[in-house]
Amino acid sequence: MEGECHFLEGNIRAKKRVNYTKGLLAEVKIEPERLKMFNMGASDAKEFAHAADEMTKIAKEFGPSPLKKIKNRKRPAIRRIQ
Amino acid sequence: MIIAERKTFDEIKQIVGDAHKILIVGCGTCVAVCMAGGEKEVGILASLLRLDAKREGRELEIIETTVERQCDKEYLEPLAKKVSDADVVVSLACGAGVQFLAEMYDTKRVLPGLNTRFIGVAEHEGMWTQRCMACSDCILGETGGICPVTICPKGLLNGPCGGTNEGKCEVDNEKDCAWTLIYRRLEKTGGLNNIKKLFPPKRYDVQTKPGKVIHPAYEKGEGKAHE
Ligand code: SF4
Ligand code: SF4
Repeated sequence: MEGECHFLEGNIRAKKRVNYTKGLLAEVKIEPERLKMFNMGASDAKEFAHAADEMTKIAKEFGPSPLKKIKNRKRPAIRRIQ
Repeated sequence: MIIAERKTFDEIKQIVGDAHKILIVGCGTCVAVCMAGGEKEVGILASLLRLDAKREGRELEIIETTVERQCDKEYLEPLAKKVSDADVVVSLACGAGVQFLAEMYDTKRVLPGLNTRFIGVAEHEGMWTQRCMACSDCILGETGGICPVTICPKGLLNGPCGGTNEGKCEVDNEKDCAWTLIYRRLEKTGGLNNIKKLFPPKRYDVQTKPGKVIHPAYEKGEGKAHE
């Protein structure tokens, strides 16, 4: 649960990072709601199943990823070079 | 160190325009520490640009690289090939680094990805505050190590002003009055006599732009003889 992390305040920090990442997604016009953080115990199977259901519902609501939609129309050539 | 922040994605996207091949150059010194322009931030910006291009069905190629410092030529020279291959270069250094990179590769469009904010310190993780305006005539020795030029919104050398309010500043009552801080520090360090000193007007003549510093040991000719 929030604040009851094995790494002390780790999940509170993670929450801030996730919120920051949602902001990044919004900047490139990808629905930030597609990313969500859930807190649960390692053996909390029920909680996990609920979270998976909720995410499935969210994904269905928004439909396919805006990146995929484009891919079907015309495949952009994107290469990553380090 | 120099503190900076990333420009909004919209602004970066707009200045990059319709470039197909972008080189993003990070800087591994100040701006890496303030989490604005280091290797990780280069990666984040590159990902944002890629996601955006993919969403819009545009072709885009991004090259990521981070150098030790962009304000030293020797770190910029090895970038020649990467720069020449790219349509535009986005530098995630402070304004000085961007200019040095643009000067070295002056036939290429070199664009800033950051807004350079100030010289400051890490107050705590993820938070930086301004401490110095680089006034070229440091008076910290007289003010208990607290800079009124920077911390006092009016830059008063002979403070406090009439608006000091129980330790808070009249300009913003969330902020401490610089001159109350100075008084308290001088009190602690046995230097309260300084508060009675009248500072002469600030020497703006030493702050003319652009500044230039030559280390005496590196002056042309023999250098300055010790007399
Ligand atoms: S007086 Fe303040 S602004 Fe001037 S050099 Fe010293 S710290 Fe920087
Ligand atoms: S209240 Fe203090 S910090 Fe604020 S303007 Fe006056 S002297 Fe400067």
